[in-house]
Amino acid sequence: MYLILSSIFFPILAGLFLLIRYRTPLPGEKRAIDRKALTTLTGIFLLITAALVAAALLHAKESFTLFYLTKTLPIYFRIDSVGRLFSMLAVIVLPCAGFFSFEYMKHEERESRYYGFYLLAFGVLNALCSAGNLITFYLFFELLTMTSMPLVLHSCSREAVMAGLKYLFYSLCGAYAALFGIYFLYQNCDSLAFTADGALRASSIAEHGGFLLVTAFVMLLGFGVKAGMFPMHAWLPTAHPVAPAPASAVLSAVIVKAGVLAIIRVLGMFGRDFLRGTWVQSVWISLTLVTVFMGSLLAYREPVLKKRLAYSTVSQLSYILFGLAVMQETAFTGALCHVLAHGFIKSSLFLCAGAIIYKTGKTRVEELRGIGKEMPLTMWCFTIASLGLIGIPPTGGFVSKWYLALGSLKSGMPVFDVLGPVILLVSALLTAGYLLPPVIHGFFPGADYDYGRLQKKEPCRLMTVPIFILTTASVFIGLFPDCVSGIIAAAFTGR
Amino acid sequence: MGPNLLANYGEAVSAILFCIGFTNLLLQTNLIKKIIGLNIMDSAIYLFLAEKGYIAGRAAPIVVDGVTSVEAYINPIPSGLVLTGIVVSVSVTALMLSLTIRLYLRYHTLDLDEISMQLKREGK
Amino acid sequence: MDFICNFPFFSILISLFSGTICSVLPAKAAKAVNRLVIAAVGLMSAVLLLYLLSTGESFIYWMGHFPAPWGNEIRAGVLEAGMALFFCVIMYLSMAGGAHKLPGEVVESKHSLYYILVNLLLSSLLALVYTNDMFTAYVFVEINTISACGLIMIRQVGRTIEAAVRYMIMSLLGSGLLLFGLCIMYDLTGHLLMSNIKESVALIMANGEYQIPLIVAVALMCIGLCIKSALFPFHSWLPDAYGYSTVSSAAILSSLVSKGYIFLLIKIIYRVIGFDIFNSTRIIDVLFVFGLMGMIFGSLSAIKENDIRRMIAFSSVAQIGYIYMGFGMGTQAGMVASIFHILSHAATKSLLFIAAIGLTDVSGGSRKFIDLTGAAYRNKWAGVAFTAGSLSMVGIPLFSGFISKLLFAQAAVQVEGKMLASLIVLGISTVLNAVYFMKTVIRIYTSEQDAPYRSITFRDRKGYTVVLVCSVLLNVILGVSSQPVVDMIGQGLAMFA
Repeated sequence: MYLILSSIFFPILAGLFLLIRYRTPLPGEKRAIDRKALTTLTGIFLLITAALVAAALLHAKESFTLFYLTKTLPIYFRIDSVGRLFSMLAVIVLPCAGFFSFEYMKHEERESRYYGFYLLAFGVLNALCSAGNLITFYLFFELLTMTSMPLVLHSCSREAVMAGLKYLFYSLCGAYAALFGIYFLYQNCDSLAFTADGALRASSIAEHGGFLLVTAFVMLLGFGVKAGMFPMHAWLPTAHPVAPAPASAVLSAVIVKAGVLAIIRVLGMFGRDFLRGTWVQSVWISLTLVTVFMGSLLAYREPVLKKRLAYSTVSQLSYILFGLAVMQETAFTGALCHVLAHGFIKSSLFLCAGAIIYKTGKTRVEELRGIGKEMPLTMWCFTIASLGLIGIPPTGGFVSKWYLALGSLKSGMPVFDVLGPVILLVSALLTAGYLLPPVIHGFFPGADYDYGRLQKKEPCRLMTVPIFILTTASVFIGLFPDCVSGIIAAAFTGR
Repeated sequence: MGPNLLANYGEAVSAILFCIGFTNLLLQTNLIKKIIGLNIMDSAIYLFLAEKGYIAGRAAPIVVDGVTSVEAYINPIPSGLVLTGIVVSVSVTALMLSLTIRLYLRYHTLDLDEISMQLKREGK
Repeated sequence: MDFICNFPFFSILISLFSGTICSVLPAKAAKAVNRLVIAAVGLMSAVLLLYLLSTGESFIYWMGHFPAPWGNEIRAGVLEAGMALFFCVIMYLSMAGGAHKLPGEVVESKHSLYYILVNLLLSSLLALVYTNDMFTAYVFVEINTISACGLIMIRQVGRTIEAAVRYMIMSLLGSGLLLFGLCIMYDLTGHLLMSNIKESVALIMANGEYQIPLIVAVALMCIGLCIKSALFPFHSWLPDAYGYSTVSSAAILSSLVSKGYIFLLIKIIYRVIGFDIFNSTRIIDVLFVFGLMGMIFGSLSAIKENDIRRMIAFSSVAQIGYIYMGFGMGTQAGMVASIFHILSHAATKSLLFIAAIGLTDVSGGSRKFIDLTGAAYRNKWAGVAFTAGSLSMVGIPLFSGFISKLLFAQAAVQVEGKMLASLIVLGISTVLNAVYFMKTVIRIYTSEQDAPYRSITFRDRKGYTVVLVCSVLLNVILGVSSQPVVDMIGQGLAMFA
């Protein structure tokens, strides 16, 4: 109990401490921020948090109620396999991106605010992963939006503030749509604690079956906003380019996954058997397939690198949602594998893009000619990660996409069992189409390239090491998928 | 409907008066006319109360010749209510009038819409 | 009868007479008396609440020992005592929070007058809460109106006088309707005491005669009180009145005065007409529809506003819509949700008004959003408090606003016909709330490097900061441990019957 609580509250308190202790000096106030102390402190906090989470992952098994919001609504924590999987992702990506930002944020203003909210978001994420019932989950889901918003609008330019607001409104709308679903579930379930095989009362299903389907759909759509599902995906490509690169990495790799986690939870509450074969499943699958295809297509046409990666996130997240929507064990395995693989790959890609921006200031894809000669290590990582996202073995993306396609074929749904894999394949081709050009032009700038202007621009270790770790992790998942298959199998049954 | 109205003509009149006062208070733009509307509205209610309290053929509830039977007198409570109501409405009217004077001294008009226009122009 | 049973009467009397005393005292002493009276009344209400919780029964107090149906009565139950206590707490916080602005807003010679008005307002609110007599209620409604009008216009600029006139006109329309409804009610039942009227009303409904006049009377009273509590579309007076009066006045008006009328309406529903009879009329549907419209249009007006005080004022229109929506559901759960929202809104709105003044203070006194850029950095405590208030309004868990929305939604789910409408509007309104409150929060946290204004720290304004912290705590307490409060409301409603 104390391990879980400390993994939640330590980063929150640490974040608040940073916000207060190193607050931005007021205009006219003579007080310089000791940057070195700030970053050291943040680094220590990040490592302690990571250690706490790791300890909680390994040891904590019990569940406990913190307090009662109202008589029947406890704030309840329990770590199960799904939560553990998402914690694993967070605990690797967040410290990496955090260390990356020590260098990246060097020249930005209001650094302390960034680190403060970064730690706050970390704590809230931990809470989200260990939440044991829907109301607790909802609480931290909202808090996650609140704490991650300052990361998006960090630069405080007009554009950034508008993007932050857009993010906020999309997320809030989605969360409220989901909240009303929670009210109905509350009426029709004995308790709101998570399960994997349906908590609805049999009498309620018989009585309000149709209405509950609508509720399920609204909840999926509402939480799907966070996961960038069509038609509510528009905030992602707006928010990503304006946020600092490490923030986009975290946003894209971990925070949007909160939407996926939410959908897994909702699916568990309603029960797969209740939803399988209904119109909800068909509509949902169609939406995810549309998103997969459209996201890839938009990414293919997008000239700005970070925005291209953002559209790619839209597309890849719907791979995961597709895997969940199939409601079949193999596809579920593929989806959860893809959560990890995409998390590592996308954070690595965003950090690479950040390193490029930091060193050269180039944001558009066509400016990146010869970048591979200037920043070889970064671009090599970018290449490996790209291959992973396309799904070329032996990287993580291959394994997950393999399972996704296999699961879809096995599911025996009409139309979608074949249509799904086809669209996934087409989208993989498009992925190659949008990720490989920067790599090709980066390493092979062409005969007319002026090699004389070339200079070494490799960023310092603080940037390359996190990128390297994340890329390695993505390959590791592909080489040894067995190390997570146990936990995923447990997740399917809800243990 | 018709016979009922005729039998209760007092109530009908007071209801009509109330409506007249109410619309005046609501729709007139001139402040003084509004206040007159207020007084009509209140008086209509007092008329209604007095009408209800009066019982034909009975005396005012003041014991002079030793008759203490309830049957002899009208209901005194509505009269008491009317008195209280008058006190309230007088004080409210006084307050409204004083506010009107303030506004008039400041804006030299009694038209509430006109005053609002001037305030908008001041932009405060 | 225990000595404590005198407390409701004492508290009304103390606040009424201290008002008169204040008129001859110098401003400083008047202020002290005012604070003391609010604190004393709050203390008495707290003791009374504990007493009532321990006995578990409400009591009726005869004024001047005339028995019903002739005498005037005071009635105290858990809900009344709790409401009185809460009103005192909010009033104390509002007065303390706006105290430092008073010298700038009100002419020196009129300070003691200000305290008279506040004391009168308190006494009339207490009377509205405790009285068991309809005509007494009417008289105190008028006293409440007059003192509220005074509170608006004591800051003598053109806007406030105009606002006061508009407020008076709408209020008078409202009290005219209330009085007329009351007279018809008296005509039908022959009683003025709530309990006696209720018996007669039950008889009338059972006999089936005079039902139409009865419903007309109920409708008149309802509309009257709706106008007075600024239910949409009768809210035209509200933004100016709340937006330009002194800080304390705005906080008190928005969080207490309209709530006093709403509480009276609750009493009328439960103690005069009877909950079931009221629900069988179509009036609740009308209240429901107007409540829903208020929730949306109030928020829309608030979005368009570019003046922070007026924005908060428009948000009150939306919140009052919530309360009437709860009435309109016609269930016990809806009523509990509404009463909880009265508390939650009062706590949040006073906090927002007080925090907003801290922000405008550090922006050269301007209330336009453009000048408020970065104000939260210049006055940190006010910034944090405003953010907390906004989060509560938007309905983020752990704040009181979330619990009231939760209660509303739970109540809505139980009502077949009104479920979808209320849930959808609740959702839309919440999102609209988020739009304008988050917009403001981001604005005050957008740092502005070359703002020429001085910043304010804790040391400059100790009292003010303490008030802010207390209000935030009140909000969080209501949000985290709501169950005892909800239980108490349920108990109080049970005592009403």
